[in-house]
Amino acid sequence: MSNSKRRKILKLGAATAALGFPAIIRAQPKEIVMLGIWPATGAFADVGPILDRGMKMALDERNMRILGRPIRYIVRDSATQAGAATRRVEEAVDGEGAKFVIGPWSSGVALAVSEVAKRKKVFHIFSGGTEDISGARCHRYSFQWAASPYTAAKTVVDNFMKANPKAKRWHLLVADYAFGWSVEKYIKEVGKTHGLEFVGADRHPLGEREFSNYVQKAAANRPDAVAMINFGLDAVSGAREIFNFGLTPKVPLIMTWSSGVEELVQLAPEIRENIWVGSNFYYTADTPVAKEFVKSYQGKFGSPPGYAPSAAYSMTRLTLAAMDKSKTGEVQDVVKAMEGIEVNDLLGRMRVDPATHQTIRPYFFMRCKPKSAMKHPMDFADIIATGDAPLPKEYAACKDIGGF
Amino acid sequence: MLYALMGLGLSLITGVLNIPNFAHGALFAVGAYLLVSTVNVIGNFWLALLIAPLGVALLGLIIEYAGIRRLYSAGHDYQLLFTFGLALILSEAIIIVWGPVGYSHLPPPILRGGLDLGFTFYPKYRLFVMVVAGLLVAATWLFLEKTRYGAIMRAGIENKEMVSLLGIDIHKLFTVAFALGAYLAGIAGALTAPIRGLSPQMGVDMLGIAFVVVALGGLGNLLGAIAAGLLIGVAQAVVAAYWTEASTAVIFAVMAAVLLVRPQGLFGIR
Repeated sequence: MSNSKRRKILKLGAATAALGFPAIIRAQPKEIVMLGIWPATGAFADVGPILDRGMKMALDERNMRILGRPIRYIVRDSATQAGAATRRVEEAVDGEGAKFVIGPWSSGVALAVSEVAKRKKVFHIFSGGTEDISGARCHRYSFQWAASPYTAAKTVVDNFMKANPKAKRWHLLVADYAFGWSVEKYIKEVGKTHGLEFVGADRHPLGEREFSNYVQKAAANRPDAVAMINFGLDAVSGAREIFNFGLTPKVPLIMTWSSGVEELVQLAPEIRENIWVGSNFYYTADTPVAKEFVKSYQGKFGSPPGYAPSAAYSMTRLTLAAMDKSKTGEVQDVVKAMEGIEVNDLLGRMRVDPATHQTIRPYFFMRCKPKSAMKHPMDFADIIATGDAPLPKEYAACKDIGGF
Repeated sequence: MLYALMGLGLSLITGVLNIPNFAHGALFAVGAYLLVSTVNVIGNFWLALLIAPLGVALLGLIIEYAGIRRLYSAGHDYQLLFTFGLALILSEAIIIVWGPVGYSHLPPPILRGGLDLGFTFYPKYRLFVMVVAGLLVAATWLFLEKTRYGAIMRAGIENKEMVSLLGIDIHKLFTVAFALGAYLAGIAGALTAPIRGLSPQMGVDMLGIAFVVVALGGLGNLLGAIAAGLLIGVAQAVVAAYWTEASTAVIFAVMAAVLLVRPQGLFGIR
């Protein structure tokens, strides 16, 4: 065989190998691969596309580049199932070279993804109601963007009681998974300081659509207030049924951890009357970044952003800010840069606690407007308070964030 | 009663056409959306409640005539795949026409709020639905038992070849059965709209329950579907009173328990 023929065969072999392993070709050393693990199917399928919007908007602001390197954004379906989500994250990390993982949207699934991040040594940030990401199961690679369940509970209970000092008998409807348990625990803790009596607390599975049985029990307890600790369509279905039973507007309903816009838009104004809402974001937040983001989002999609796209947007911006600070874009440098980072961003002043990886940031408390007070169809509520009380040390379960 | 209504419609289609209609949940959703659109246009809930299910029945008629009928000779698997694909198409069509975001529709003002029945609270609208669904189940039952066409339909379930040999247009029978099944799904959806709200995937949950009702009652057994619908509803309500978290699981637990003892269902013979 001549030398030129051998070279041709070697070139052909190299080309074939390259075609056979596109992931190796795609994962160029200079490019930074960011994974959005969002639910496209399953219980939160309605939220996945808007989470994707938020992350894309933050990346587009940077023209898909950071530290002079191109960003490649890939998306995988978490399916709101721990098994599917962890498998897809692992595949994205191993096959696509993803080093920065944002998502998913369910606390239970996020805890499983967090374990993958720890094992694969990739950066991970999530927003949700479980306290374990920055608590009992904290580790060096995972960060929590959402307010701590304690911050949320304290903001909601303190401000609701300020407005309704006589509403001492509460009935709770709680989503039966990590997020619900965490928030319920602190609602009860903070409730003690106001002398609240919890006349009932029913747990429902994720994806529940038939709330009549739960509401029947709640009505029988004759509470002064009903507080729901659930999310998305569960919260919408619950609020609708509570109205159908004639509890609201006579009895106030508290949606403790709401997505804001995405849930409220699904409820008729009559149903929203006397609903009080706690949320990680509301689109009338008075910060320069929020105003610019809301304007841009409304311009693109025709409606204001709720908690989901705003969380994805802000988590991505925070990650990019940490990359800037790290100056290298390497995972461990970005983690170090993220620890203790302080920014004036979407929610105003935001700081990441280096000891727990919990973002210390404001939580919003709103009261829905009666139909007559709404200036436009999306004018759902007024922000009546914000709170950023951090988790007291005696409750902190993250004793040691550990090493790399 | 809503479960019985859904199960009855599905059982009718399964019995006469001998196909599991996977599009039954989507027809339920279309009924809900048509109700709301009709209310928005004519501003009258009661009239809309009459019109919307008829729209779904018309859709059912078209589906059978233009789709399923052409697949009778192609075999069972193709009909099954067709209804499955149709369910996806209808769900996507709902998103295209009405949007991906769900919304609420209020009951008419006279039926809003709850009633204190002494031993419990209950929404007025749910009581209304219970009565209407009960009347519809009874009317369907009377139609099937007391009318000539109902007798032909029941005969069609028992032995299609024999009905055909007696000179009855079996294709017309299939079309009417599918349209009637679709009507029952449509009115169940329309009645449900103020209770559960509207979302493109709203038919998925109900489809699962409808299949449980059909399996529990006995495939194609209409009396069985009514009895199974009532049984599941009562079991769910009783369990919910004592163990709320298990109120959904009990639907499937009852089915599993009955099928272990009677694999053909409560009233099934095959």
